[in-house]
Amino acid sequence: MNEHPIKVVVAKPGLDGHDRGAKVVARALVEAGMEVVYLGLRQTPESIVAAAVEEDADAIGLSVLSGAHMPHFTKVKALMDTEGIGDRLLTGGGIIPTKDQETLSALGVGRLFGPGDDPSTIAEYIKERVYARRAAERN
Amino acid sequence: MAESMRSSRGPSLTPQLWERFLGGERRACAQVITKVENDPDAVPEIRDRLSGRLGRAIRIGITGPPGVGKSTLTSALARGLADGGNRVGIVAVDPSSPFTGGAFMGDRIRMDALVGDDRVFMRSLASRAGQGGLAPSTAGVADVLEAFGMDRILIETVGVGQAELDVMACADIVVLVLQPSTGDAIQSLKSGIIEAADVVVVNKADLPGVEMLLQSLRFAFSLGAGRPGTNATPILATSAQASEGIGELVAELESQASDLVDSGRHREMRRARLENEIRRAIQTHLWASLERAVGASAKIRRHAEELTLSGGSPYPFIRRACAATQVCQTKEEAWQ
Ligand SMILES: Nc1nc2c(ncn2[C@@H]2O[C@H](COP(=O)(O)OP(=O)(O)OP(=O)(O)O)[C@@H](O)[C@H]2O)c(=O)[nH]1
Ligand SMILES: [Mg+2]
Repeated sequence: MNEHPIKVVVAKPGLDGHDRGAKVVARALVEAGMEVVYLGLRQTPESIVAAAVEEDADAIGLSVLSGAHMPHFTKVKALMDTEGIGDRLLTGGGIIPTKDQETLSALGVGRLFGPGDDPSTIAEYIKERVYARRAAERN
Repeated sequence: MAESMRSSRGPSLTPQLWERFLGGERRACAQVITKVENDPDAVPEIRDRLSGRLGRAIRIGITGPPGVGKSTLTSALARGLADGGNRVGIVAVDPSSPFTGGAFMGDRIRMDALVGDDRVFMRSLASRAGQGGLAPSTAGVADVLEAFGMDRILIETVGVGQAELDVMACADIVVLVLQPSTGDAIQSLKSGIIEAADVVVVNKADLPGVEMLLQSLRFAFSLGAGRPGTNATPILATSAQASEGIGELVAELESQASDLVDSGRHREMRRARLENEIRRAIQTHLWASLERAVGASAKIRRHAEELTLSGGSPYPFIRRACAATQVCQTKEEAWQ
């Protein structure tokens, strides 16, 4: 099967801080052969999901280091569902306690990565999930 | 023949998808674009579906060296054109890495002002195997956007060292964007892009050096640069970041757009593009038959390998191959 490149929207939601984390992830995904639509700083859940819809992205990757991961991931996931892209992967990184991870996972959010994780493992994870979804769609 | 013109990959284009597309659902438009981008076999069916919905929109290419403000300007232009009553599609092309195949697409960073504006539809494309600052699917994606109801389609090319000419092939109007103090004027004169431009924009007019660039451009044009057989190429200054000079640029583009339509040149350009599309599709089909019949590519490679060693002429092989390859079954009636 000749898979076309995976398209990922990468953003840093919220008004605080810098987008170094998001850039590191974006670079790692490009290295892994993905097409990354980079939105950068100060994104709202609405702007992120609207971009993912227009780009028909396979996945959304959020970088949330501020501690506000719960509202951001929850809101983006909810909007993805209402906008009809609930089948697409939502993943990302931050400093996220196990308990929060479990809560988000129950909402359908994908695996979340911490500062200690090698960015290439995020790429591997996205590949696995996106190829599985595409295979299911073909059948 | 039919197999090569039918879709084989990925979820198919269902009647429901087309219904949603015609109903103006943005996600459906995005999904059709994905199909055009990734599945060449699906293109014929998609083209059939789009028929009757193409021919009106004006396609505007935005080209120029890296970082001159193409995306910022495209965003400001999209708003200006939308305020004038247009629906606007944007296709922004970014380079794919030849090593990994990945692409970092950052044009949306400069298009924040368009968030939530449903008069505008923006799509990023990685250049993939495309040459000349465009993706192979650029024109096809523009077709989808036009059929979706867009009146103006802005095509931002890759910011390549020298502004690229290929955008002429798929745009009705070409805007060349430059910025002060980069020596762009001299560079572009060398590359011949000046002849391709219908409008030259000096962006970042808030920075020093604008006057100098404007002067050297005016000088170059007074020496007869510019697209042959057209009026003097307009040179405008903008500050896209501050939305300055955008009104004038929009007015210039809209005036060129109505000239193109009124003079019949727009129809002429469409005819030339269609001619190309047809010729290319038939060439592809003929080549595919040759591949199936004799494995043409592999044979050519083997001959090239031998010739590299022997230093011989390729023509004995070419003559033999051509003499043995005749299009003898075609029926002229079918070409009417
Ligand atoms: N001073 C000034 N800076 C501007 C202006 N327009 C854009 N910029 C800045 O120029 C930089 C590049 O802008 P982009 O719009 O991304 O340029 P681009 O030509 O699309 O870049 P590539 O797509 O990477 O080739 C950004 O930092 C913009 O903020 C302007 O009118 N004045
Ligand atoms: Mg750009």
